[in-house]
Amino acid sequence: MLSYLIRRILLIVPTLIGATALIFFVMALAPVSITDALLSREGNLQPGERKAREEYLNRRYGLNKPLPVQYFRWLNAISPVGVKEKGAGFPASWKVGVKWPDLGNSFKQARPVGPIILEALPVTLLIQTISMPLSIAIAIMSGIWAAKHRGKLQDVATGTVLLGLWSLPVIWVAVMLIGYLANVHYLKWFPAAGLHDPRAGSMSFFPGHGSAGYLLDSLWHLVLPVTCLTYGSFAFLSKLTRASLLDTLGADFIRTARAKGLSERVVLYRHALRNSLLPLITVFAGILPALITGSIVVEKVFSVPGMGRLVIDSLLAQDRELFLSVATITLLLQLTGFLLMDIAYAIADPRVSYE
Amino acid sequence: MENRFGIKDFLLFLVLAILIGMVGLAMVMFDRQYEEIQAIKKQSGEMTADMVAIRRQLAQGVVTAGGAGEARGKTEDLEVFKYVVEAQKKPDFARGDWLIDNFGTKIGRLTPVVSTDVYQTIIEGRVMEGLVTRDPQTLKFVPVLAESWEVSKDGLTMVFKVRKGVTFSDGGALTADDVVFTLNWVMNKDVNAPRARAYLEKLVEVKATGPHEVVFRFSEPYFLNFATVAEASVMPKHFYSRFKPQEFNERTGLLMGTGPYKLADPENWSPGKPIELVRNDRYWGVAPAFERLVFREVEDESASMVMFGNGELDIFGCVPEQYEKLLKDERILKMSQHLKYHNPLSGYGYIGWNQQRKVGGQVVETAFADARVRRAMTLLIDRERMAKEIYLGYATVASGPFDPMSPQSNPEIKPWPYDEVKGKALLAEAGFRDVSGDGVIEGPDGKPFSFKLTYPSGSATYERMVLFVKDGLARAGIKMELEPLDWPVMLDKLKKSEFDACALGWGGVVESDAYQIFHSSQIAGEADNRTHYINKKLDAVIEEARRTIDDEKRMKLWHEVHRILHEDQPYTFMFNRPALVFLNGRLANVGQTKLGLNYVRLSALPIPWYVPKGAQKYTR
Repeated sequence: MLSYLIRRILLIVPTLIGATALIFFVMALAPVSITDALLSREGNLQPGERKAREEYLNRRYGLNKPLPVQYFRWLNAISPVGVKEKGAGFPASWKVGVKWPDLGNSFKQARPVGPIILEALPVTLLIQTISMPLSIAIAIMSGIWAAKHRGKLQDVATGTVLLGLWSLPVIWVAVMLIGYLANVHYLKWFPAAGLHDPRAGSMSFFPGHGSAGYLLDSLWHLVLPVTCLTYGSFAFLSKLTRASLLDTLGADFIRTARAKGLSERVVLYRHALRNSLLPLITVFAGILPALITGSIVVEKVFSVPGMGRLVIDSLLAQDRELFLSVATITLLLQLTGFLLMDIAYAIADPRVSYE
Repeated sequence: MENRFGIKDFLLFLVLAILIGMVGLAMVMFDRQYEEIQAIKKQSGEMTADMVAIRRQLAQGVVTAGGAGEARGKTEDLEVFKYVVEAQKKPDFARGDWLIDNFGTKIGRLTPVVSTDVYQTIIEGRVMEGLVTRDPQTLKFVPVLAESWEVSKDGLTMVFKVRKGVTFSDGGALTADDVVFTLNWVMNKDVNAPRARAYLEKLVEVKATGPHEVVFRFSEPYFLNFATVAEASVMPKHFYSRFKPQEFNERTGLLMGTGPYKLADPENWSPGKPIELVRNDRYWGVAPAFERLVFREVEDESASMVMFGNGELDIFGCVPEQYEKLLKDERILKMSQHLKYHNPLSGYGYIGWNQQRKVGGQVVETAFADARVRRAMTLLIDRERMAKEIYLGYATVASGPFDPMSPQSNPEIKPWPYDEVKGKALLAEAGFRDVSGDGVIEGPDGKPFSFKLTYPSGSATYERMVLFVKDGLARAGIKMELEPLDWPVMLDKLKKSEFDACALGWGGVVESDAYQIFHSSQIAGEADNRTHYINKKLDAVIEEARRTIDDEKRMKLWHEVHRILHEDQPYTFMFNRPALVFLNGRLANVGQTKLGLNYVRLSALPIPWYVPKGAQKYTR
């Protein structure tokens, strides 16, 4: 098991290098240079300014060097082991050694990538940590319920309703929710955008002093985005749980349990459920990166300053440094997720072992 | 018995998770309290400093009665506060309430000089001020932080007297050193401001010749020299000199000035924090009406429209279709007011005809090199009809590159009318006839007249516009193909002059310099004369206009430029479009000026709007 783990961890490195190289060179294939993309995002230019800015950008970021050189420079910067300045990292007096990874400077925002990501990350984490467990919990419960009443009205109704929900496109639902549930002319139940009321800064934390309080205000603003994020994933996870549960319920050991005289509830929850969770573990590890990347559509429509918006903005602006950093982090998470999934699989199912 | 993971364990974990969550929330709460306490401490520190200063002055026996009264009277008499004072004389005038504006995008940076977007400029205009600004009705320069100025006859030397008694929002006094620091900071090559530096290339030296006097020296006379140095926001030296250029480039929220509003924390704003400007209690001029200016970053258009209808946003700028739709909505009309106004900063749209192209390594003149062909193109495009049908009447046909409401524009010149017959005749005169009888005219070289129109993709308005143009030209036997391109790709093609004709627009300023676009020297080096337009006579007039410091003489020269461009049609000038805006109904004293609305967001003019006592929403 240990050698398997070490092998998997070491394999992450070439995977990362290959994937980032692919992203880098595909981005370079875009029919326009990065300097042009940067210039164009600055809005209406006055004639004469463009040239000056272009020269400045090329000089500052080395964008006119050959591509492989740029790629290796970036790779060296982001790698914890590489060429470094004397005096930094470990060992301090060598030019090559262990060092802190440097994520680079965003071209568009002209400041280090690290703080940019750190600003957007908590927002996405907040929304995702609320919506993911929620959607998984609801999906599993509805799947169990559907499996228990297999073939009856509950099963068919659940399946149809959840499938219907899944087929509603998120962007349409988001705009409809804002238009009808956040509109003073219809039902003003929720706020229309953002994460805080403009007066939130001066509110107290808990309700009182004449206002709803910072905590409740934040939760209230989160309802619509979380709804949009969760409803689509019910169908898939629910059906998965149902199918896996039904599969397990057909096994011999369940028959034995029922023959022993155990109640249906104990059979279902204590024996069958545990064994049918394995496919769910697989799927869950696949969803893990979404924790960090967020949802681009929901964040754009609700004006939530999270990672999804960062990704799309950096792509559109050809902001290579920022996008590569986000992509690397996502990749790292995905690979770690797969590794964790395999380990969890090995723990959950004693029949599985790695050598 | 095995230790199974059962319901009770799950509940235990749940309770544990909730407890941890609570602790996390408590930590967030303590952090917020900490920030509030820090803000209070800072405020009380500043107030103490103020009181100490006042006590010291009293101890020195300063005459306060007449002196203070005089000073106060003086600021209210200043031209720049004229409109605000007028507003204050209205019967229902009241101070207070907040103004909630919306930027349709996430803002990355508030630091001056190194920012490149219009949103930062809007905020900077409220927090910082320059030596002069433009009066919105007369368009003349009025003194703000300067008391007076003198420009030498040859335009090479300017002397400004800086106003006394002005303080920055943290109490530091304004002196000539701050002005010198500001200009030198922009000129500093390590500061990430190539755009601003490009405008200052003619500045040789800026020096403080006294605590309240600054001298600027230039290398050659240029009519924009004055505006560039005099309208620049003055940065406080004591605040900004603490940062090295590299750190300044990277900081996102360093904004402090002498303006009527300030950031509650002038150093630590970062993207994601709300953008709120509070009243500067130390403001040297007439105190503004609004207590707070809030800028929201709602990107989604439908969300912002809903929020405007809810009363959560006070300003909503629209395109003609939205404007018409909102005009029909009773509920919206009841709670809002709307305006159509001329905005000189919106510039103009045009179609540029490229006169030279590289074909197989050789430079070849295109059909558009002949002025008759270009004039025919203009005559064959029915711009009046397009203004009515595409922009729903919310556009006027442009006749030149200058803002039609500014003195630069020649009032005698009217845009060429749509005339199919005359257009065809001009083409025939230039040698374009339909010899083969297939409906497409051929040029003197026998090849059919066909070209591609390049334009930015993704805009429904542009799509309709180019189809109109295609139709109009087809009637005259010209085949036009469409080439929609992604914005950056299009810029690249423009740079390399790899296009036949392009449909685009330029942003505007109050007085623009025709040099960059139409002078023949701006073809080389990928500068902005992308249509290879060469007219020696025009070059001479432009050069003379740039050198002329006397306003009246210069305007006559611009009129001549306008006339030449009108005859020559290097561009077909398309439209000037008014700005359309819906405003919350509680805002009073909204009006129009030559610079747009009387709240001119992009300049440092004081805001003359207010909300009457009974209608105030955010303050009581």
